[in-house]
Amino acid sequence: MNILEVKNLNMSYETLEGSVAAVKDVTFSLKEGESFGIVGESGCGKTSVAMSLLQLQADNGKITSGEIIFDGKDIVKLNEKELRDVRWSGISIVFQGAMNSWNPVVKIGEQIREAIREHYPDKTKEENTDKIDELFNIVGLDSSIADRYPHELSGGMKQRAVIALALSCDPKLIIADEPTTALDVVIQDQILNEIRKVQNILGLSLIYISHDIAVIAEMTDNMAVMYAGSIVEMGNTKNVFANPQHAYTKMLLESTPSIIGPKKKLRSLDGEPPSLINNDNCCLFSYRCPSPTDMCKNRSIEMKLIKFDDNHYVDQCCMDCG
Amino acid sequence: MYKYVFRRIYQLIIVFFLFLVTSYVLFDSIPGNAFQSLLLNPELPREAYDLVIQLYGLDKPLYERVILYIQNFFRGDFGYSYVHYPRTPIELIAERLPRTLMLFAMVNIVAFYTGFLIGKILAWRRGSKSETWITVTSVFSYTVFYPWFALMMLWFFGYKLDWLPIGKFLYPEKWYDSPYDSDVIFVSMIKFIAVASILQMLAFVYTRNIESISARRNVRFTSFMIIIIGSFAYWNTGEMLNQKIYAMDIAYHMILPVFTVTVVAFAGTALLTRTTMMEVMKDDFILTARAKGISQKRIRDRHAARNALLPVVTSFIFTIVTIIDGSVLTETIFSWPGMGQLILDSVLREDIPVAMASFSFIGVFALIAHFIADISYAYLDPRIRIQSQG
Repeated sequence: MNILEVKNLNMSYETLEGSVAAVKDVTFSLKEGESFGIVGESGCGKTSVAMSLLQLQADNGKITSGEIIFDGKDIVKLNEKELRDVRWSGISIVFQGAMNSWNPVVKIGEQIREAIREHYPDKTKEENTDKIDELFNIVGLDSSIADRYPHELSGGMKQRAVIALALSCDPKLIIADEPTTALDVVIQDQILNEIRKVQNILGLSLIYISHDIAVIAEMTDNMAVMYAGSIVEMGNTKNVFANPQHAYTKMLLESTPSIIGPKKKLRSLDGEPPSLINNDNCCLFSYRCPSPTDMCKNRSIEMKLIKFDDNHYVDQCCMDCG
Repeated sequence: MYKYVFRRIYQLIIVFFLFLVTSYVLFDSIPGNAFQSLLLNPELPREAYDLVIQLYGLDKPLYERVILYIQNFFRGDFGYSYVHYPRTPIELIAERLPRTLMLFAMVNIVAFYTGFLIGKILAWRRGSKSETWITVTSVFSYTVFYPWFALMMLWFFGYKLDWLPIGKFLYPEKWYDSPYDSDVIFVSMIKFIAVASILQMLAFVYTRNIESISARRNVRFTSFMIIIIGSFAYWNTGEMLNQKIYAMDIAYHMILPVFTVTVVAFAGTALLTRTTMMEVMKDDFILTARAKGISQKRIRDRHAARNALLPVVTSFIFTIVTIIDGSVLTETIFSWPGMGQLILDSVLREDIPVAMASFSFIGVFALIAHFIADISYAYLDPRIRIQSQG
């Protein structure tokens, strides 16, 4: 059963220069207990997708069309009160940069307690304390951390505590938005193991957002590659890695060093992400595509995912040119 | 933490010592003295003047007088007022202080509370129409020329509408056959307000441990109502029933000055709160709080405003000294004979003992206020606790 279905989601930010289409026609779905990765360069709309799942986008961000069906309810249509119920007890987020995710003047335990209190107002103080101890135990922290202030913790501890916070209201889905960006590699590895362990123990669904394609390979069952607000390739993680179809995915893979096999020169993609203001729906990758066809150059082909293989979808313009 | 507190106290004592010596030397360097007028009286021989100078020890060299003054100061001997001879500075201050304390404690609390409240609402409603209008009004009242504004308020509410009294802190005709001195009433009003606010504070502290938010809110509301009912009972029984009409008279006279100063003073706090809070609202933890599903009001108060509190408390502590020294302008315009007028008067007439006593009193209070500020920083922002230990 699908716990989350995102259908034709369009989201744009209203700015003084015009409307910025940050998320364009994004469709994906997620089964219970499954993990889904979203990968792409900075500014491609990964975080915008995550934020719109909880309606946490900035004030000027508007969902123009589409549906987000979570647990049978369309999140886009919920009012503030109903949204608050879904937030954290339905979907919770591990934010990027745990350093700043904590209120600096409130104790860690109190901040977790606050979330539990909001969603389970009838629980007693002792029950909540036990719950927090249990959460800390799951993420490998000492229960004395609850009485500490955020600045007294190291970066890795804060990130673990953030995971504990995300688990505090028994969510069904966790969105991990680049949870390891600010950490060094060793701690990154520990945190990733922690997330995977938690996911297995509690049977959670996970959306993992990262620009680090290696992490996505390690963490997820299915994945989507985003470029300029659209999904350009989506499918089973193994398939996508073994047989990338879209030019952008290929470039992304070639820009990442491999620790096995012969040394290869890393390729990088020239140019920069296109402006998303007032674009038509033509392939925005054509400016940077290494082998654009005439159709791409004339901008006469629309961006649209089509089926390439079983559980593997690719943007139609890259089907032929490869 | 204790080490930090002791170090601060030690520093304060040194600062106070310097303060005493400096103010004595400064007052001494004013040309002339309070007895100069004796020389102008042709009826009096010059010896009389010399005798008075000798009597007060003013013929001694400066350093000797400074040492004597400081010795006497710590014995609690402030000498006699030159101008109101048989009375001591302590008596004069004891008479003036309750009036100033009452008025300015009220003004400060009301102004900062409304300022903080309005500031956080302004920041929260950033971009709305009401925000623009309130900000414009705040900037106006922040920059308005205060004496003019106070006079306009007096003219409008006191004369034109005739709702509120002009000047004075009581109607003398009501007090002719009063068994009480006005100071007694002031003191019992201050006592009452102090006790009521301490009770309210205790209620807040003790309810902090209640886990369920709605239960906590109910308990707090109940305790607030109990305090309100209790104070009604308090003012309507025995001794207090007699004092009530006089207290009401003073309270009635306080409305206009409190309102006027609040209108001028709240704006600074409101604008300061608005700026700091908008800065805080950009922080990631506000997003975390929203994602947790917490209500907007709670995010505003508990997360955003709480982090914007520090600069507001700083400015509050700096202003709090006016509770004691009042404000010469306000006291003059509203003819409120408090500490501000006493200080101005004693300095102008070179009544050095009174001036010194008032100044050192303010000095002690200011130092204590700053000490409390330092302690409350550590309470408000745990990050300061660590840095301050070294």
